[in-house]
Amino acid sequence: MAYTISNECIGCMACAKICPTNAVTGEKKQIHAIDPAACIECGACGRVCPSRAVLDHFGLAFERIPKKEWDCPQFDLKTCMSCTICLDTCPVSAISQALLLKGNPHLFPVLADEALCIGCGFCAGDCPADAVTMVPRNRESRTEETEKA
Amino acid sequence: MTTPKGYMGKIMMVDLTTGAIETEKISPKVYQSFLSGMGLAAHILYHRIPAGADPLGQENILGFVSGLLTGTGSLFTGRWMVTGLSPLTGGWGEANCGGSFSPAIKRCGVDGIFFKGISEKPVYLCVDDQGARLETAEAVWGKDAVEAETALIEKHPNARVACIGQAGEKRSLISGVSTDKGRLAARSGLGAVMGSKNLKALVLAGKKRIRVHNREEMKRLSKICNKWVQFQPPFVPGWLTAPVGALMRILPFVATQDGLLYKIMLRKWGTVSMNQISVEMGDSPIKNWMGSSADWGFFKSFSSQPDRFTRQETEKFHCYSCPLGCGGICKTKGRFPETHKPEYETVLSFGGFIMNKDVDLIFYLNELLNRAGMDTISAGHAVAFAMECYEKGIITTGHTGGRALEWGDPDDIKFLVEAMVARDGIGDLLADGVKRAAESIGPEAEAIALHCAGQEPAMHDSRNDPGFALHYSVDPAPGRHTNGAGLYYEMYQLWKKVKGVPKMGPAYMKSSKYKKDIHHARVGKANSVYLNVMNGAGACLFGGFIGATRIRIFDWLNGATGWQFTPEDYMEIGANIQVLKQAFNIKQGLDPKTCRVPDRLLGRPVQTRGANKGRTVDVETMMKDYWELFGWDRETGRPTEETVNRIASIA
Repeated sequence: MAYTISNECIGCMACAKICPTNAVTGEKKQIHAIDPAACIECGACGRVCPSRAVLDHFGLAFERIPKKEWDCPQFDLKTCMSCTICLDTCPVSAISQALLLKGNPHLFPVLADEALCIGCGFCAGDCPADAVTMVPRNRESRTEETEKA
Repeated sequence: MTTPKGYMGKIMMVDLTTGAIETEKISPKVYQSFLSGMGLAAHILYHRIPAGADPLGQENILGFVSGLLTGTGSLFTGRWMVTGLSPLTGGWGEANCGGSFSPAIKRCGVDGIFFKGISEKPVYLCVDDQGARLETAEAVWGKDAVEAETALIEKHPNARVACIGQAGEKRSLISGVSTDKGRLAARSGLGAVMGSKNLKALVLAGKKRIRVHNREEMKRLSKICNKWVQFQPPFVPGWLTAPVGALMRILPFVATQDGLLYKIMLRKWGTVSMNQISVEMGDSPIKNWMGSSADWGFFKSFSSQPDRFTRQETEKFHCYSCPLGCGGICKTKGRFPETHKPEYETVLSFGGFIMNKDVDLIFYLNELLNRAGMDTISAGHAVAFAMECYEKGIITTGHTGGRALEWGDPDDIKFLVEAMVARDGIGDLLADGVKRAAESIGPEAEAIALHCAGQEPAMHDSRNDPGFALHYSVDPAPGRHTNGAGLYYEMYQLWKKVKGVPKMGPAYMKSSKYKKDIHHARVGKANSVYLNVMNGAGACLFGGFIGATRIRIFDWLNGATGWQFTPEDYMEIGANIQVLKQAFNIKQGLDPKTCRVPDRLLGRPVQTRGANKGRTVDVETMMKDYWELFGWDRETGRPTEETVNRIASIA
């Protein structure tokens, strides 16, 4: 299954630019198309589309959400087991690792640059320990959480 | 056709001669019969490598496979495997490695990437959004594995790389394939196959999703597993591990080992936790299998006590989907700033096995060999072989360029290993393993060359655990310690999940380990079969050691695929894979009888002191019993034609 683009498309290229797998093809001002073999259903195209032209596999259109309101992952370091599944599953390689807890030699995931994150939530969905939750972007509160842990 | 769950349902076949890259669909029946990973590879290679193929020639196929459970939300399932016709043994070749490469294969939309033919010029395979293509590797050919990986990632950011170092390029028959800057799929000499194909690396940057039948169930099972992994009570300091081993040596009985104890040690130190325990209890061979714990006592082995390694560790290294993290990155003195924490096998094969106490040298050799992409087990054997040959006058200063070789001398060891990496002088001889070296030196050397059909056995003494003798001898890729052992079976606790496998009580008399009875063969069969299931799933052996009720491989497999197989069904699958690998060897003309471990490893002549004093292992009977349990010919180890045809006809 893959997402599709409807006739509402205005050919603005926003989805093509953000697609992490280069699955969107199409010229400017022409209706774009999604290559079903390449689409990973991250939904980034839908979140940037200004004309509600991206449909999920139920045929429902995505609402555009301003980027500053996108969710991004927050890691609960107490439940995290450093398994790196989130690092691998992230389609834009936005997650890296660092020594975050004093005296603990295990590396923990960190979203160093929020701007890289496309808010797909794969990291939260795939985490076997349920240590990742998607929260609204707000650097201050996320940092606090990390420090508390 | 329904969308595959758990596995990707396709393989990639790359013809290096023509440059053609094709993706093939594989029938669900194949996955249901052989799983993915090593089972899938056995299915592909059995059919497609013709009999009598040259391991370093056009016809050999080199396969990189991922596990069925990789990327499905299961834990300890990030192993990838490299397979092919081994130039070292002339039969089934396999090597297994962790790191982050396994999911990268599946994210390219395939379960395995196979290479046939030979490229005219050095190339690497790149798979990304633009598809799969071969690119010139001129810029990285000649570079070591760490330099090559760094350069390739610079060019292809966020890609995962598997590559060979100089050893593979120079077709050293004891070379492997490196990933994550020095983690090696080391055994079976498959680095040489990659080198012979002029294939420097695989650079994978696919982003495909891995579909799962029931992700919530996968998570539920993973949480059960993780709970046991996080259970970490305090354990003795490193220097006290040796007395623990000594106690295990002295006691006349053995408590059936619960892998949780080993898990605690792995979490704390990694595999180096076993350094001194193994020596003391008689598990670690000393001085090219001639010595014993009496020659390498507490004070001599003290330099390798586990705290010594964690002191240099800057961070833990977790393979993909591993909650434990037995690996580590260590800072080192001298030429290389850092290295992966040396593993037990490396420390012992360059420690007591060649009578070396200099641990800084081990750190150096570890990094040198990781970068060259050379197997440290076989390399340690080659050094020990050279030293014993020199001691016995079989080789002289004429062979060594004027150098007198002495057991344990750091300069001599360094000289030999550096010469092997450079394939220089005597190093050229040793770089193809002890069998080839002995063949060119002469018949006296052949008694000292300790190998199973060409592959050097590992740092686990078959006189201490006869299970090692059996698996070194009967596995289609002989000489490997990961295939099975009596101890492994105790830790798997399979009888708690699977009907019809031998049960074990809480303790047993040590002497019963050496009794001749069918129990050992039954345990051996269960070991082989379960390992095949784990290798099909891409599971880690150390994960398996936590015990079958805690790491639910069978349930994960059902949860990932939607199948409703019983543990017994999976064991049947494992048995079929074993048949296919054995049939592969028969097809290639490797006689199973010739894979037997050499006499010295069996206590012939018997040791007169140390932990394994007075022990001999009747491996011949064990082998026959094992073959018979599989339904194979008791005398020749050949599966019947009907069995092979039945399994080979699955497509």
